[in-house]
Amino acid sequence: MGKVVFDVHYQTTLAFLISYYFYCTGLSAGSFMISTMSYGFGMTKYKPASKMGVVAAVLLLLLAPQFLLMQVGWPIKSVWNHFVYFNPVSAMSYGAFLLMLYPLNSIIYGIFMFKGNMKLTKIFGLIGIPMALAVHGYTGWILALAVARDYWNTGLMPIVFLFSAMVSGVSMMILLIMIRDRFFTKEKVINKDLVVSLAKILGWLLVVDLFLVFCDYSVLLYSKLEGKEVAHFMLFGKMSFFFVVVENLIGKIIPMIIVMIPRTRNSYFWLTVAALMNMVGILAMRIVTVYGGQALPLM
Amino acid sequence: MSNPHEDKKEGKKDLPRWGMVIDLDRCVGCHTCEIACKIENDVPLGIWRSWVKEIEKGRYPNVVRAFRPTLCNHCEDPICCKVCPVKAAWQREDGIVMVDPHLCVGCRYCMSACPYEVRYIHPLKGMIDKCDFCHNRVDAGLQPSCVEACPNSARIFGNLKDPESEVSRLIATRPVARLKPEMGTDPRVYYIGFDPATLEIKREAELIWEK
Repeated sequence: MGKVVFDVHYQTTLAFLISYYFYCTGLSAGSFMISTMSYGFGMTKYKPASKMGVVAAVLLLLLAPQFLLMQVGWPIKSVWNHFVYFNPVSAMSYGAFLLMLYPLNSIIYGIFMFKGNMKLTKIFGLIGIPMALAVHGYTGWILALAVARDYWNTGLMPIVFLFSAMVSGVSMMILLIMIRDRFFTKEKVINKDLVVSLAKILGWLLVVDLFLVFCDYSVLLYSKLEGKEVAHFMLFGKMSFFFVVVENLIGKIIPMIIVMIPRTRNSYFWLTVAALMNMVGILAMRIVTVYGGQALPLM
Repeated sequence: MSNPHEDKKEGKKDLPRWGMVIDLDRCVGCHTCEIACKIENDVPLGIWRSWVKEIEKGRYPNVVRAFRPTLCNHCEDPICCKVCPVKAAWQREDGIVMVDPHLCVGCRYCMSACPYEVRYIHPLKGMIDKCDFCHNRVDAGLQPSCVEACPNSARIFGNLKDPESEVSRLIATRPVARLKPEMGTDPRVYYIGFDPATLEIKREAELIWEK
């Protein structure tokens, strides 16, 4: 209604580094899930992916907190204070513990897997699954509990984060397995059975993920002032290229179609394209969620 | 070590509850409170603890300028204190919401959770900075710097628990508004003659990367 004559520009709170942090934890949680499918749940079909999955999970989870430490103003103080001054009502407080315990558990799980101790591998794998869910779910909670922003403050946020984590993790595993089998084995033959069954999982995860995005936006468009504004900003405004085209069309819908059609699913070329597109799309999703959620000033 | 502020909160039952009333009928938008705050608290360039948002509305000859002096609302149920992972955001017994510089690590979570956008990263210290009602002046029995500087006495500061105080009298007898009461924070800064148009957000806000 009015024209603003003077106002103070507010600072960006959580920047791109946080998006990369969310992306890395998501990939890690997803690849850990694939890794536990054979040792934890006895699905032997996925056994060739287990060792690669746990190595990827540990490496990514060692990388992820580095982005977090680059973002905070006082990195060393933050590590100390998070443990000493624990605030039980803050989601971020629990994150510090999860980010320490989950890689430790994954390393122990990986060591037993490489040594061939089936029983302990199963135990630590099963302990790791709720941890992997928590370590990525809590990132969604961090955003959901920032009550000021209508785009973040929804109960769907942790679930959306979990599904996008699993989606990107499965895509990464498909790519890694194809690269390993093609270039780093003696036979140079890709394990087609494994890759295609992972692609089927990817397809159904994408269906759920798209459904969750639809739920989120349909509610936002009917919600109050700020929710409507931010939904319009994402769908038709300056964020629409990243949100509609990169995240949902390139990142989710096209890969879903590729992995749903049997002809393209059985082609390694199309599978590589789908997995790469999906990984780019999920990175865009992290940036859109973190940056777009706070792009509009609140008052 | 569970609560680092325990010793500062003990046994003070008769403490006041500080609050502010801003009479916008008296405000002329001179921005003196902004400057006084900057000088008193040594706030660096680029950040403001307290500022006056100014809008113009209408078409000539039916035009008006509306002002919204903005500062920390010192909520009764502050979101920032709940989300802070290291208990650096804390509330004094007399209601002033503070930032502990020994604990704050600059994670900016409270900034994204605050519905009033009054928390800022101090560019020199790398930690959160915000209005603290000039707590050092208040403890010494003085008024906050913005209140003292206001040429029209538009800002009135006082004890909300005392029914005889100027703030309580104004809140009881004048129509007052608070910013975003629907956020459930129970803010303690009251506005007389508030124009809600100053709260409206702009669609298609300028993105930071386009500047």
